Amino acid sequence: MKTILHILFFEWKTLWRSNTLKVLLLVVFGAGIYGIYFGKFEIDKQEDRISQVQKYERQQFDSLLVWAKLDTSIINNKEKYQKAVSPTGFGWSKHFTYYLTHESSATAGLCLGQRDLFPVYYGFNVTDLARQVNTGELANPMKLLTGNFDLSYVFVFLFPLLVVALFYNLYAGEKEGGTLSLLQSQSTSLRTILFGKGLLRLLIVWGLATILLILGFLLQGIAFGATGQLFLRWSLIVLGYCLIWTILMGVIVWFRQRSALSAMLGLGVWLIFTLITPAMLNLFLLANEPLPNRSQMIHTLRTMNDQNWEHPKSYVLDKFYPDNPQFNDGDTTDFYKWYYASFTLLDKEAKVMNDEFEKQIKKRNSLIEKWEWLAPAAIVHEKLSELSSTDRDSHLAFMKDVRAYHQGLKDLYYARIFSGDQFTIKDLQTLKKQL
Amino acid sequence: MLKLVIKKEFLTALRDVRLQVSGVILISLMLTAVFVGRQGQKQIQKERVQAQSAMYDKWVNQGNKHPHSAAHYGQFAFKPKPVLSFLDVGLDNYTGISVFLEAHKQNEVLFSASQDSNGMTRFGEMTAALILQVLLPLLIIFLTFNTFSKEREEGTLKLIHAQGLSMRQLFMGKVWGTYLMVLLIFLPIILLAYLLLGQQSTGLGSGVTTKFLLLTSAYAIYFLIFVLLCVLISAFGKNSGFSLLSLLGLWIASCIIMPKATTNLADKVYPTPSQFEFKKVINDKVKNGIDGHNPSDVRLASLKQQVMDQYGVGSIEELPVNWSGIAMQAGEEYTDQVYDAEFTRIEHIFNQQNRLSEWIGFVNPYLAVRHLSMALAGTDFHHHMAFAKAAENYRREFVKKMNKDMEVNHKPGVAYGDYNVGKEMWSSIEPFNYNLPGATTILSNQWRSIAALVLWLVGLFFVSFIYAPKTSRL
Repeated sequence: MKTILHILFFEWKTLWRSNTLKVLLLVVFGAGIYGIYFGKFEIDKQEDRISQVQKYERQQFDSLLVWAKLDTSIINNKEKYQKAVSPTGFGWSKHFTYYLTHESSATAGLCLGQRDLFPVYYGFNVTDLARQVNTGELANPMKLLTGNFDLSYVFVFLFPLLVVALFYNLYAGEKEGGTLSLLQSQSTSLRTILFGKGLLRLLIVWGLATILLILGFLLQGIAFGATGQLFLRWSLIVLGYCLIWTILMGVIVWFRQRSALSAMLGLGVWLIFTLITPAMLNLFLLANEPLPNRSQMIHTLRTMNDQNWEHPKSYVLDKFYPDNPQFNDGDTTDFYKWYYASFTLLDKEAKVMNDEFEKQIKKRNSLIEKWEWLAPAAIVHEKLSELSSTDRDSHLAFMKDVRAYHQGLKDLYYARIFSGDQFTIKDLQTLKKQL
Repeated sequence: MLKLVIKKEFLTALRDVRLQVSGVILISLMLTAVFVGRQGQKQIQKERVQAQSAMYDKWVNQGNKHPHSAAHYGQFAFKPKPVLSFLDVGLDNYTGISVFLEAHKQNEVLFSASQDSNGMTRFGEMTAALILQVLLPLLIIFLTFNTFSKEREEGTLKLIHAQGLSMRQLFMGKVWGTYLMVLLIFLPIILLAYLLLGQQSTGLGSGVTTKFLLLTSAYAIYFLIFVLLCVLISAFGKNSGFSLLSLLGLWIASCIIMPKATTNLADKVYPTPSQFEFKKVINDKVKNGIDGHNPSDVRLASLKQQVMDQYGVGSIEELPVNWSGIAMQAGEEYTDQVYDAEFTRIEHIFNQQNRLSEWIGFVNPYLAVRHLSMALAGTDFHHHMAFAKAAENYRREFVKKMNKDMEVNHKPGVAYGDYNVGKEMWSSIEPFNYNLPGATTILSNQWRSIAALVLWLVGLFFVSFIYAPKTSRL
């Protein structure tokens, strides 16, 4: 134990005196700080958008509440009053556009994951949801392709390079510097010395990772304690990942090759695990496993819509009533009952198709998951985005919330539409509470 | 003498086991990427062509109905997968692939592959571009990092000098020798890729061949830049270790870190507005007029007056033509103006963002070749916009035709449901057909990247010419 401490101490002194270590650590540290800053910038932008949407929604609804209390004996107030209390809206414009936002989780700014590929809010009224969520956020595809420079990127891509840079001349450096024979003449075995040197380097990497993680949590204002031991989980994944790379480099050092060759081997392994394998898996998947043809859904819906308009109103209502007996009063001629019933039919069909698409995608992705172990970088990135709720599944969960919220709104609207009543102030207040 | 050096460099490289191994790995990666990629491109293109014609069939066979109902029924446009996209997939996985074309509104091009894939997609797809842009330079580094320092360490530099070979000749000999080795790997595979193209039964447009040749030249220049740069650094490096570390550092900075940092910076310098703001502006402008003082009801009233004056009648009911058809087309054209202005604004912002990284190509040749390669493969942002615009123009044309028919033939007094047209009308609309921009357009869009590559090449030759003689003094 004492020998190891001794080695650690002197190795640290030697390393610290060479500028290479300082430069390396500074570069990776700088990249980490930039990553933290950039992640915060991106997530703040999303948060701004979310609050902008929420503020707009509240303002709009408040004006509805004002309009609903207007004196309708004044002719100019009539239209506004109608807009506020009529569940079917005014003319072709619908009653109200609601927004549901996808709040970011605590560590989303440390790992932006897939979150930039999907909208973080949807706006919709009580007509069919399916055609209203066919939208994306405005984004430069070039930026989506290049990806985000967040802290997870620094951990997943740059830390392994740091490990390679620190380890490649662990043995060869002594040999090429002419100090190997000196070491071999010591009473401590060469193996112990090399182990000590490796241990110190691992501790340096771990130290830097921990500092960056702590800074990341501090600078992004993430609570260390409460939120499901997030810090602990992040640390475990990141430190474990660094350990794997250390072991890999240890194996390379064990070959006792010249430093140039060890560096090339290290870089080669890095290329294989972070670049080549994932890219190969993607090549086979993207090029050869067809994606579901989602435009098929739009086609089905437009055809249904077309049929709904071509046939008498009973065509729609006869299909609608069996599923929704609470609204069944036998009326098959009313325009608004027919109009809104048809949206429910569209959504029902869209749900069936969407489930089918998701099943296909799941099957497709499970193909890649079978081989994912070949690409540890991808696994670690996936785990970190899972922790940060920035993966695709988290977006799917959000979509589920959107559907539930939409259904909740419909329950209230349809009750009024089918009874022919208008919204009362109390109805509007109930709706406001759900915003 | 120069030839001798080239031959020596070439043969040494060829006999080096490490380089044989990495060369073989590179070639097999390339072969897989090219074969599988081409297969995939063919399949995807086949699917899109089928989808396009199936949807056109639905349009033609939609049955008898009012032309405006047909405009609502709408059409689809599918983005063709460019033939050369198997060499550089570019933005293809991040841009939408189809758009629904209907009356009254301009829809988004939707359903990008990345939205339907898990996080692994973000690691990129193995294509020839990835190998040529990122991996091959690494091979060049391994070939050249000790080309001078080894001579120096083994004391052969003085011997060569004594033979009467100028340092400039030795320098260029090493450059051409290495470059020859690179071409030996690059050219056969690229030739094979070209042969794979030829298997296409429909035949090759001359455009594709031109683009392919330009693409090949762009890469050939890029490699020469890299070889010059590496030999230069190796010539001035203190020792092999130092050269290797600085070259690898340069590679990591330019191929791994800088591209990401650049696009992120661009988004900060030229912020992208949100979809919410974008739609709100469009809605407001349609409602209140582009200048904010011309609300839709006022616009409609003045149009009404104008049409009544034109036909010399006192009320809409007396018009010999269908008022709704006129009003709809006028509304359509007004929204088009608003959409055009707003979409152009967004396109402008994105172009500014991309241009920033094209400018940085003058600092980092990787960025220059990346933009140029995507553009020539037909997978860059300009191509995506060209498709979106072609689809939108097609939409405007067929909606206009529907409105015109309604205006002229749907006589006043006839109920909406009683005026129907059929197949003859639908098939008078030609199927959507979109041709990729030609090589000239691409080159003029990409002049920055081309200039950057040329400047790098000329600059490096110049620097080598001036500084090569100084190598001996070290």
